[in-house]
Amino acid sequence: MTIGTMLSEIVRSLFRKPVTEEYPFKKYPHPENLRGKLVYDPARCSGCQLCVKDCPADALELIVVDKVNKRFVLRYDVDKCSYCSQCVESCRFSCLEMSPEQWELASIQRKPFTVYYGRDEDIKAVMARFASQSPEES
Amino acid sequence: MNLTFPPILALLIFPGGLCLLLIGLLYEWADRKLVARFQNRIGPRWFQPLADFVKLLAKEEIIPDGVHAGLFLALPIVALAGALTAALYVPMFGFAPAASFRGDLVVALYLLSLMTLCTGLAGANTLDRFSLLGATRALTQLFSYEAPFLLALLGPAVAAGSWQIGTINAYTGQNIWLVVMQPIGFLVAIVGLMGKLELPPFDAPEAETEIVSGALTEYSGRGLAIFKIGRDVELVVGLSLVAAFYLGGLNNPLDFLLKTAVLLLLTAGLQSLFARLRIDQTVGMWWRVGAILALVQLLAILVGRGLGRLF
Amino acid sequence: MEALPKSNKFIVPIGPQHPALKEPGHFEFTVDGEVVVGATIRLGYVHRGIEKGTEDRNWIQNIYLLERICGICSHTHSTAYVEGVEKLAKVTIPPRAQVIRTLYLELERIHSHLLWLGVAAHEGGFDTLFMYSWRDRETVMDILEALSGNRVNYSVNSLGGVKFDVDQKQSDQIRRGMDYLEERSHYYMKVVTTDQTFLGRTRHVGLMTLEQAIHLDATGPTARASGLAKDVRVDAPYAAYPDFPVRIQLGDRCDLESRFVVRINELFETYRLIREMLDHLPTGELQTKVPRRIPEGEAMMRLEAPRGELFYYLKSNGSDKPERLKVRTPSLCNWASVINLAVGYNLADMPMILAGIDPCFSCNDRTVTVRRPGDSQTWSWDQLRRYGIEYYK
Repeated sequence: MTIGTMLSEIVRSLFRKPVTEEYPFKKYPHPENLRGKLVYDPARCSGCQLCVKDCPADALELIVVDKVNKRFVLRYDVDKCSYCSQCVESCRFSCLEMSPEQWELASIQRKPFTVYYGRDEDIKAVMARFASQSPEES
Repeated sequence: MNLTFPPILALLIFPGGLCLLLIGLLYEWADRKLVARFQNRIGPRWFQPLADFVKLLAKEEIIPDGVHAGLFLALPIVALAGALTAALYVPMFGFAPAASFRGDLVVALYLLSLMTLCTGLAGANTLDRFSLLGATRALTQLFSYEAPFLLALLGPAVAAGSWQIGTINAYTGQNIWLVVMQPIGFLVAIVGLMGKLELPPFDAPEAETEIVSGALTEYSGRGLAIFKIGRDVELVVGLSLVAAFYLGGLNNPLDFLLKTAVLLLLTAGLQSLFARLRIDQTVGMWWRVGAILALVQLLAILVGRGLGRLF
Repeated sequence: MEALPKSNKFIVPIGPQHPALKEPGHFEFTVDGEVVVGATIRLGYVHRGIEKGTEDRNWIQNIYLLERICGICSHTHSTAYVEGVEKLAKVTIPPRAQVIRTLYLELERIHSHLLWLGVAAHEGGFDTLFMYSWRDRETVMDILEALSGNRVNYSVNSLGGVKFDVDQKQSDQIRRGMDYLEERSHYYMKVVTTDQTFLGRTRHVGLMTLEQAIHLDATGPTARASGLAKDVRVDAPYAAYPDFPVRIQLGDRCDLESRFVVRINELFETYRLIREMLDHLPTGELQTKVPRRIPEGEAMMRLEAPRGELFYYLKSNGSDKPERLKVRTPSLCNWASVINLAVGYNLADMPMILAGIDPCFSCNDRTVTVRRPGDSQTWSWDQLRRYGIEYYK
């Protein structure tokens, strides 16, 4: 039976540095396996769309620019994604990976939350296709 | 220091009034920062209590249904007024009390209790269950710590032979510190102060996890801001009183700062050490342990004085 | 606003919004002065329709949906589901995957118990213990982040195994973390069992004798604190527990203090288990192939979540989506013990008694229908919807 069992601990804390991480004034190193934003490499993609089928959050959509020459554009909704990395698992050709560096994804606009991955000319073609369609679809 | 200020200046600007409000905010920051450091975290920045006060003033004040509106609006002001008036009789910041007469120790103590009474009334005023429970607990706690606390402050009064705070302050400044001569009284006084201010572990009246915010649950905006700053003023006044009585009197501002800082460190440490006491445990503890200790101390003083007169 | 009744009794509502509760739930305590004379409970504020949602998603997507039933026992839910599906598909997963799954289960137990220690201390007004135990919980959160990439919702299970491996560097980090946490757990045991003010809040509070525990069907550490020796890891071992047996920790005082002691003892047992698992981690691959269409059948899984016994029922009709999935979480069983035993204690003890069973409201809110013998009902979707609308009017 003691009164004030934590006395030695709290007195010691008075002379120690506080453990609070002073983010955002100090950035701490991220773990290597951190599951951040998805990154897609269109070079190896075969268009099987298993990633789209298996995504639990409907965050991926594969837009076919040219099926024969394997030109695809992936539309990735950063805000819908639940960072589960199932798409990385489902892809047999290692086109997808979750980047451990890009994890500070907060933004005050909607634009950064829809990302198009692919070759530049493909993305331009897709955007042109969207623009020519009715304005409600985007 | 024996600088006397004209009473109206003392009441409004310095050393009471506006200056006291700002110093109250400073002491609240120091208290929160110390508790945070004891818990191994950073704690708020220096302007946090001021920011809280300004934010509360900017919010809408909602008067709930079924209360007496006049009482609802007047109670915070009366509470703050009581605390500020009590500061007139206490040697604030090391200067002599602005107004002083024989028996002002009793008056000062009653003015400090006015805050708890107003909290109790505020809780009883509303129909909210949490406020009613909080008010009951606040008044129960008032009845439990008041007697030992008064007795503990009576010890130095008996030693100094006067009921006037100014005289007691001068007496303790010239003799051995009473914390050495009356240690039990010092202990009861400092723990009693924590009970008066409803600091943990005696924060059953405003237990956040049980009754939301106790008697002040329905207050928002300006009323809550005034209640909170009244509590801070009471913290400063209470600390100065205990420091003046037990830590060798308050003679100049630096002296004041150092001694109240030491007391604040002690209070913050005691705050972090214990779990919250239930209200029945609080009452039991005070009426058994607290009262007996205070009486023992008083007895020791009387016996000591009697023996001193014999030799 | 009605006027107060003339008698001294009145009803204090705790919830749905209250600082004592981390999630919404409604409790009404009828109070006489400060003593509680009656208690009722109402749940259902966090019902999200997850069981219905699983019927629209394929077997792989469901892993991630079910993980998010609860944030604290998320991996337990995910493991229960995945093991059920593997049972239906009649697949055995490689031993290394089995042990890694169990490793995560035990790490989750640590984080859950440390979280609970802090929250229960906070309910009792002991903020210092809250801050210190959550500071130490960061150690295990950092370990989990280094292993899987996320602090909660580790998403480490996949149908047929696990997705992420444990390498030497991570294994060393785990061992260092376990050493540190073991030393701190000894300290917390000392605080919880010897600090006078804390004992004043926990000793002889919330008493539940062994007979009452059996009668009220309590489960998990709440029941083990009253002496009821039930632990699914021992009674019906799953995952890697047949190879790494667990010793049941029982309490003898049947009160709130005993629940603290049982959970901290479980922490010590977990540290031992994790070290043993790391020492004997089998080599091999991490996944086996599970078909996309699961054969028809039913499967039931019982797991020991940090709060008690978790029960899953899966039914498949041969397609790539489940037909029916039913979850019964442990917190639902333990409410009866709180409501029946709250009478006679102070109102000030209520938050600690509520926190003592480690409630997880998000886990709770599944539909429960109590069937009387000889009475059976089949509801169509429209009927169910109409019932829900009427209930909340």
